[in-house]
Amino acid sequence: MTTTVGIRTKDGVVLAADKRASKGFFVGSKVVQKIFALDDATAVAIAGQMSDAEYLVSLAKAERRLLTLRRGFPLSVRESARLISSIVYNGMKSYNPFFVELVVAGVDREGAHVYTNDMSGAVTSEDFMSSGSGSPIAYGVLEQGYRQEIALDDARKLAESAVRAAMERDPGSGNGVDVLVVPNHRFNAEVN
Amino acid sequence: MAAEMQRMPFFYNPEGRLVQVDYALQAVSRGSTTLGLKAKDFALLSSQVRPTRALLEPAEKVFVVDEHVGATGSGYIGDVNTLVDEVRVAAQRHRLVYETRIDVGTLSRVLSQHLHSFTLYAVRPFGASVILAGLDELGLQLVQVDPSGTPFRGSGFAIGQNADEALEVVRQGYRPDMTLDEALALTTRAIEGANGGSSQIEHGVVRRETGKFERLALAAAS
Repeated sequence: MTTTVGIRTKDGVVLAADKRASKGFFVGSKVVQKIFALDDATAVAIAGQMSDAEYLVSLAKAERRLLTLRRGFPLSVRESARLISSIVYNGMKSYNPFFVELVVAGVDREGAHVYTNDMSGAVTSEDFMSSGSGSPIAYGVLEQGYRQEIALDDARKLAESAVRAAMERDPGSGNGVDVLVVPNHRFNAEVN
Repeated sequence: MAAEMQRMPFFYNPEGRLVQVDYALQAVSRGSTTLGLKAKDFALLSSQVRPTRALLEPAEKVFVVDEHVGATGSGYIGDVNTLVDEVRVAAQRHRLVYETRIDVGTLSRVLSQHLHSFTLYAVRPFGASVILAGLDELGLQLVQVDPSGTPFRGSGFAIGQNADEALEVVRQGYRPDMTLDEALALTTRAIEGANGGSSQIEHGVVRRETGKFERLALAAAS
């Protein structure tokens, strides 16, 4: 279930997600948060099994904090995506898979990045992407509206309308949209 | 009391020292003279290759840990080799999880923890000190780790035989803006001075501009 969207622009990244948690054919919750900040400059949007995804986010937060404290500088977005992927991959290979599909997005010293992690541990880097049951519908909007030079604010509007379109036709998505914008300068606001 | 101490030489002695660690440091100070030096644009490792005899190939003394980090050591060469392998594995494990180069601080911590674990139990601590040189997000790094597991960061280190004399030569000739050729001449002079004559020396350098650690060709004793 769920629809999540991530868009990369030259000025930052945007994450958007709906707020519905489904229990089969029942709307289990109408106010679920599906976007989580790993820190000031990196965030993930989750789809799939809520418990798996939330645990994975907590685990990734802990591992990132440890590594940052130990080595003295934060992880790049790519490192964060690879970290999550190796946890998920190890889960799959030990017959305890995480039933999740994540969008890892953020800004680092190289700029803005959007990565996706699926439950097999595969990582891809995209200009824009969507996951969850509503993603085919969201992709229709994204493919129409995305441009290479899109402004961050336009990307925010595009992400929101993509999720809204999916909510109209996908029964697994609905009850409003959460949007998170991470502009490039957020990275400088960090320790480094 | 004294008899008890005899039976447990791996515990603190009455002065509060770990004598096994002291002996390990002693073993290092019998090793070949080995230097680490960090300047503005590079970090250099230089190690004396012990005089060999005819028909014997000189031992490798400077090691590539990963493309951006190198190591050298002094003491029992078998111990040095084992420790170098430990950090090489750590570097590759990091690449496996994060797909990035490991930072030198994390590598030195791996080394420290490994060495420290051998000071806790009734085992022989490693008779080797290791110097790491590398380039990471925080810049050029030079770290020395001794058999107790203590890491030292700095711009100049000397371990092995007559290390104090060698370090004094380096200290007097050191400038942060020195060129690689000047640094090579300085560490060569320091090692040869400490050993009273010409020596075969192996060098390795990591340059800020390339970010790569490379071993330099072994120069024959002049």
